[in-house]
Formats: sequence, C-alpha cells, structure tokens
Amino acid sequence: MATRNNRTGTAVRPPDDPAEPAPPQDRTRPGATPGTRARKRQPRLWTWLLLPGTLWMTGFLVVSLLLVATLALGTTDPLGNPRFGLNFANLTALADPAYSTVLLRSLGYALITCLICLAVAYPVAYAIALCGGRFKNLLIAAIVVPFFANYLVRMYGWSVVLSDDGPLLKALRAIGLADDGTKILQTGVGVIAGLVYGFVVFMIIPLYAAMERMDTSLIEAGRDLYGGPLRTFLFVTVPATRQGAAAGCVLVFLPAMGDFVSAQLMGGPDQIMIGNLIQDKFFQGQNWPLGSALTMLLMAVLFLGMLGYLRRTRKDEAEAAR
Amino acid sequence: MSTQPRPSTQPRPSELPAPSPRETPSGPEGGVPRHGSRTRRRRRRGAERRPRFALAVTALFFALLYLPVGVVVLFSFNSQKSLTVLDGVSLRWYTALLHDEVLLDSLGMSLRVSLVAMAGSLVLGVALALGLVRSRSRLGSFAGLIMLVPLITPEIVTGVAAMLLFKGLGITLSTTTVMLAEITFSISYVTVILRSRIASLNPEVEEAAMDLGATRGQALRLVTLPALLPSILASAVLIFALVFDDFVLAYFTTGVDPQPLSVRIYSAIRFGVQPTINAVGTLMLAGSIGLILLALAIPRLFGRKGGLDLLSGK
Repeated sequence: MATRNNRTGTAVRPPDDPAEPAPPQDRTRPGATPGTRARKRQPRLWTWLLLPGTLWMTGFLVVSLLLVATLALGTTDPLGNPRFGLNFANLTALADPAYSTVLLRSLGYALITCLICLAVAYPVAYAIALCGGRFKNLLIAAIVVPFFANYLVRMYGWSVVLSDDGPLLKALRAIGLADDGTKILQTGVGVIAGLVYGFVVFMIIPLYAAMERMDTSLIEAGRDLYGGPLRTFLFVTVPATRQGAAAGCVLVFLPAMGDFVSAQLMGGPDQIMIGNLIQDKFFQGQNWPLGSALTMLLMAVLFLGMLGYLRRTRKDEAEAAR
Repeated sequence: MSTQPRPSTQPRPSELPAPSPRETPSGPEGGVPRHGSRTRRRRRRGAERRPRFALAVTALFFALLYLPVGVVVLFSFNSQKSLTVLDGVSLRWYTALLHDEVLLDSLGMSLRVSLVAMAGSLVLGVALALGLVRSRSRLGSFAGLIMLVPLITPEIVTGVAAMLLFKGLGITLSTTTVMLAEITFSISYVTVILRSRIASLNPEVEEAAMDLGATRGQALRLVTLPALLPSILASAVLIFALVFDDFVLAYFTTGVDPQPLSVRIYSAIRFGVQPTINAVGTLMLAGSIGLILLALAIPRLFGRKGGLDLLSGK
C-alpha cells in the first residue's frame, strides 16, 4: 500500500510502474462512466464488522425462538420435565375454550387500549404540535421522561391511584360520578387503564411526529371552507396523520398483547391475559411445552396483525406514489 | 409557523381588523359567520387557533401522567406505614432501605448487569450498525432483519425464548444469563440509534483521511468513531437506564439469588407492599430520569449533532 492516490479506486489503467503517482487528470477522468463508482470493490472490513453482532443475534435470538417453536410440539413426562417430540397435543389443547376465552380477552383489551390511546394521543399530539410553540420539545420530553422510569414502579403508583380509596375514585365520588361500590381495580377497566398508562407514549410520539410533518394550512383550508372544528379534525387532520396513527397502534398493540403486569396488578382472576397464562405455565404450572405453544400462538396473532399493517402501509405508499 | 404570503385577492379573515377576542359575541364555533360582518368571531391562522378541547384533554393527561409518580414519591416520605394517609414527613423508609441486605444485593446485581449489558451491546451494536450501513453484502440484509425481531415481538416472547435456550443448554440461571439476555436485547436499540447517525455522516471525510495516508482502520478509529461519539455516549446512557429498569427479560432469565431490583419490586408489590418499595421506586425514578435527561443533553454538551433524536427511527 505504498500509493493511496487512487481516489476512487477506479484506476483501471494498468500502471506502468506501481510507484508512479497517478496523472493529474485523474480528477476529471474523461473515460469514467457514472457507473464506475458502484463497481468499486466493497472493502471487506464492513462485512467483517457485521459478523460478531449477527452471530450473536442468530445464536441467542433466532436459535432460541426456534427452540420455542420446537418445544411447542413437545410433551411433558410424568415428572413435568419437558420432552421434545412431535405431537400436536398442545396445539389441540389450545382449542380449549378456556384458552380461546383468554386469547379473545387479550385481543379485546389490546384493541380497546389502542382505541383509548388514540383518543388520548390525538388531542395531546395536536395541542402540542399546533399550540406548543417554544415549549414543544419540553412538553414532549415531559411525556417521555416518566415513561423511562421503571415500568413496575409506575404501574404500582397507578394502582395506588386507582385503588378503592385512592385519589381518583375519591374525586369521582365527590363529583357524583361514582358511588361507594364502584371499583376500578380487580376489573377489566383497571387492566385496560394499566395498559393505557403503560403504553400511551408509544402512540403520542409517532402521532406527534406526523402532526409536525403535516401541512397546517390544510387545517386552515378546512376552517376557511366553514368546516367546524370536529369536521375539520375528522376529515382533514385524521387522514393526514393516518400513518402516524397506524404506527402508534402497532407500537401499542404489541406490548399490550404480551403484557402480564397490568392484569396481575389491576385485574382479578377473571381478567387474566395470555401473558399471564404463559408466565403461569413456565413458573407455576411447570408445563413448558404448553407455555411454548401459547407463546407461539401469541406470536402468530401478532404476526397476522403486523402483516395487515404492512399491507396497509404498502397500499398507502402506492397511493402516494401515484 | 410563518405566515406565507398567499396569492389571494380577498382579505383573509385574519387580516381584517378584528376586535379583541374578549368582546366578540361567542357563537358556536364553526357556525357560518355572516359575510362581511366586522364583528364576527376573530379567527387567527387556523393552525394557531386555541383548540380548547384538545388543550383540556392535554392538561388532564399530564395530571394523570404524573399523579402515580407523584404518589410514589410522596408516600416514600410518609412517616406512617399507610399508603392512603399522609402523616408527617420522615426519611424512615430510606433508612430502612440502607439496612435491607436483600435489596442492596439486588441493587448491586442490577448495576452490574446494566454495566455489562451496556458495554457488550455497544461493542456489538456499533460494529453491526457500521456494517449494516456500509456493507452491501447479503449478510447485511439478514442482520438488518433479525435486528428488528426484538423490537417487534413482545418482551415476554424473547424472555421465554432466552430462558428455554439457557435451560436447554443446561445452564443454570444466574446473573450471567441475565447479562447475556440483556445484551441481546440492547443490541437492537444501539443499532437503531447509530444507524441513522452513520448514514448521515459524510463518507468523503473518511476518504480524505485515507488519501492522506490513513489505513481504513485508522480512518475508522480517528475520524468516524469520534464523529459518532455523542450518539454512542447517548445510547450508552439510554441502554444503562433501560436495562436497569427492565423487568420482563430479567424475570425470565434470573436465578433465585440474587435477583435484579425490578424483579424484587415485582414480588414485593404482588404480595402486599412494604413502604420501602416507595423509597426504592423514588430513587429509581430519580436515577432513570437523571440518566434520560443526561442522554438528551449529551449532544448539546458536545455542541454538535448526534445523540438521541426522539423523533427519528420511530
């Protein structure tokens, strides 16, 4: 590597003498075609840099997920130890109404969580993006920072707030919206409240980003055409920020579907979700193959959801390209 | 939000001299105003109108967002055991903390796990991000795909998978297994943060270094890595905070003793809360919030671009 003056690596002239510096017209290269740069040989360094991380991720992630898939087809011996095998007992067990009820409940809770997050995040993102002024970044940081605090501590604080003689129910009783018998904890409402509190920030961030990108003169146009605030919002703002909302829904739906802390802290035995079942099979029930089958079921449901989302975004992009 | 001149011949409502909003007869918003009337509701530029409903929801949202956090902090200073009645201020729960050997062990373990996960995921993640942006090999597209897996699966799935892997290999769950699992999970975050930053670097600077006689490795070490330093530091701080607070993955991969702090908190709040949890929680809140603010401030400390961009990559 004596001479490093082949700036672009396109020294296609056979060098008469390796030590001879390249001629000055190298800069303009009259014979160079636009494609010569791309033909440059990729330095191997970059591929080498990929290796350790890729091997690590393959070993720890891909292999372990495949292990879950194979164990889902296994059985347990009488002692409760997992046995690999090939039978579909677990898959048929999943058809048990008890499990399908839990799965449907999880889906329902996660969907309602998404809707509530949308209902909360739209006004918040709108207000910050359009009226935040100088304080925009500060307000967004104020939303993100508590989210980075420990999830369990936040959930526990939330459960204190929602408890039967906690501040929220006290306030609701004071204004006559609740009576002495009203409970939030140990009900489905409590679980959903927990999920919303846990993940609403995932909805706000993409929505806020979409609002920031949106051309606000659209809103003005809607108003100038005598649309009321609600109609302008529904027919102008929502369509313009649809992609942000879709991304937010995915980001909320994924963790909400797998969460087991909220149902544990805020719900009773009648509100367990699929995450609680999985956790139970691995820690209390000691039925790992069934736990693996449930995990695969959860992944399958989420995978279908992701496919739907990707198809939507493709369609959106195709429309935008037209 | 600059007012752009519009090619319009009619005066826009906002350009008409309007009385102050206080004196306007308030009609239903969006009702059709009588044309030409000077006393119609004054409308500023549509985007700057005060959407009252949205502002009210936002205020309520912020109140509910901070209420649970506030409750934890407030009751950590309570002199009584109660979780509903505040009764004098004391630091007794904090002193109780200092004498709680089990919790202190957990704290030490969490700190060790966070440090190791931070170091490990940085080394692997920075290399991976550089490779992903610059290598055009097929390995790169594969790596780009599996890197996304932890980001699009719920943590419980990766937790179960990691636990089965260790058990399947006959490894006893311990601090080490938590570290390995957390490194795996954190690589994705480091890579996502750094990828966009690396892509925005000007490759010609590196080429210039090589023209001046640096080898590719030297150019990487002396030119590229220093340019990435703010982003690397910011993601380091972020990973530390995330791993320290992580619960699900730690829960599935930890041994019996010691257990990470978040797992201890989980057992504590499942089986009746001791007020010490409020104190631990408050300290953890203070710690994570401090770290996040630090991560956000790093690029400013360096006075250049990079660091964490909250609104990118999401």
